[in-house]
Amino acid sequence: MDSIISVQNLTHTYTDGQNNSVKALDGINLSIAPGEFVAIIGTNGSGKSTLARHFNALLTPTEGICLVNGLDTSKEENMWQVRQTVGMVFQNPDNQIVAAIVEEDVAFGLENIGVPSEQIRPRVEAALAAVNMSAYAQQAPHRLSGGQKQRIAIAGVMALEPKCIVFDEPTAMLDPKGRKEIVSTVVKLNKEKHITIVYITHKMEEAILADRIVAMEKGKIVMMGTPAEVFSQVELMNKLGLEAPLAAEVAFHLNKAGHKLPANIITHKELCKALCPSM
Amino acid sequence: MSIDVKNISYTYMAKTPFECQALDQVSVTINKGEFVAIIGHTGSGKSTLAEHLNGLLHPTTGAVYVDGIDVNGKGADAKKARHQVGMVFQYPEHQLFAETVYEDIAFGPRNSGKDPDTVDAAVRSAMEFVNLDFATFAQRSPFALSGGQMRRVAIAGVVAMEPDYLIMDEPSAGLDPRSRNMIFAQLMTIFKKRKMAVILITHSMEEAALYADRLLVMSGGKLCIDGKTSDVFINDEKTLEKLAVDVPESFKLAEELQQQGLPLKGAILTEAQLVKAIAKAKGWSGC
Repeated sequence: MDSIISVQNLTHTYTDGQNNSVKALDGINLSIAPGEFVAIIGTNGSGKSTLARHFNALLTPTEGICLVNGLDTSKEENMWQVRQTVGMVFQNPDNQIVAAIVEEDVAFGLENIGVPSEQIRPRVEAALAAVNMSAYAQQAPHRLSGGQKQRIAIAGVMALEPKCIVFDEPTAMLDPKGRKEIVSTVVKLNKEKHITIVYITHKMEEAILADRIVAMEKGKIVMMGTPAEVFSQVELMNKLGLEAPLAAEVAFHLNKAGHKLPANIITHKELCKALCPSM
Repeated sequence: MSIDVKNISYTYMAKTPFECQALDQVSVTINKGEFVAIIGHTGSGKSTLAEHLNGLLHPTTGAVYVDGIDVNGKGADAKKARHQVGMVFQYPEHQLFAETVYEDIAFGPRNSGKDPDTVDAAVRSAMEFVNLDFATFAQRSPFALSGGQMRRVAIAGVVAMEPDYLIMDEPSAGLDPRSRNMIFAQLMTIFKKRKMAVILITHSMEEAALYADRLLVMSGGKLCIDGKTSDVFINDEKTLEKLAVDVPESFKLAEELQQQGLPLKGAILTEAQLVKAIAKAKGWSGC
């Protein structure tokens, strides 16, 4: 099947405060299949967000191309279609909410693209249902918790019926409860609504849920593979300034001391299985 | 030398429909030399409590004393007492404002009336503490730095005030593991060198377990648990669950292993403790 996002030899250069030209992205090649859940990890400044902003034409390549559903994002006439195909959810829910009532906020994008009014209500209702927020349709967003606000932001994107949603650290400002709400919402959108997910995070226990992990450093993709393939390379992860999930770190330290645990342990269950003969 | 919180209560927006009791008769003493973590779910009163410690909020009832001086009092003594309590807010990089890193960090010390040489020394030492090279960064705009660097400039601005008590409200939110570890390593260095008190507000139980000697658990505006970190996680697990507070991931993994029949012994709150306990239970050496 054709990829929904295809990036070929993408380089993005900007000029920093001291007039130096900096390559934020350097020769990136990446294809994302429809329905895939891809997590992008990397330290602050590794280029994760810059890459993600190319996926809905917030940024365009300095060199190379970025295709969304086959459309070149650098062509202005494609911009609207690209942005309806790929929605974005950012870190801070407060910056993404515009209206004083939840359902009006979710309807904002639809009104903006000129959806006929009789279609707006059903789409808003469907979007709120998808993020489990139907009961809050009439409430004021500022009286909701961080996790609830972020789900409203996701509903605003869902109402536009995108094929793909890019999440840029959506849980960074949330407490553990809000974090769980968002993570389960994202997984549900992927599994039940078959939305393609690109998920940027520093939290490895969130990245582990993805089908594929892309690790970045200094504007380049340095590792790519399933969570098991990537996270079992604990030493390399640490070298990149990242952490592997706890079970992988523990298995790594035990193996380093000379014990032979099976390769590719990344979950609690896998570690239990390796250590407890009763299982 | 301590911060003494005596029976404070605080009501937001009193006499309006949105009236909310954010703190309910909280009493606690925090001594210099202690590393205390305040945990609790969103809205439990953690940040409201912290904002009372240097007089940013005035308690509706009760009082807060820093080294014996009422922080809500008037006069030079009370002002000095408030200056002893430094506060790093959430996302402190949003509060950067000056044209250069140097000017931003110098703002606090200069404002508190220190002479130029003392200010200069305070800025240099604060930058050293947060590991920002003076020659490279002092004259750069704070807005042209990476997120982790901006966070460190903001922390340096508070450290330059040389507070005896340092409050940090989620200092690692949004940082990658490398920047987070760096900030905590530097914090531990200052903590040990200056023998100050650090009060860490966090949602990360891993951070609480790794760094804090003492835990304060807030819920519904009340201080529900106050105790040694390891005691709290081990003895009060059920209460913590009820208060919607997590336990460290290592603690959970240790429990799962125990349930599957691996006899792990001792307090296990961190990754290093878990690795050691597994090796011991298995009779393996070298971990």
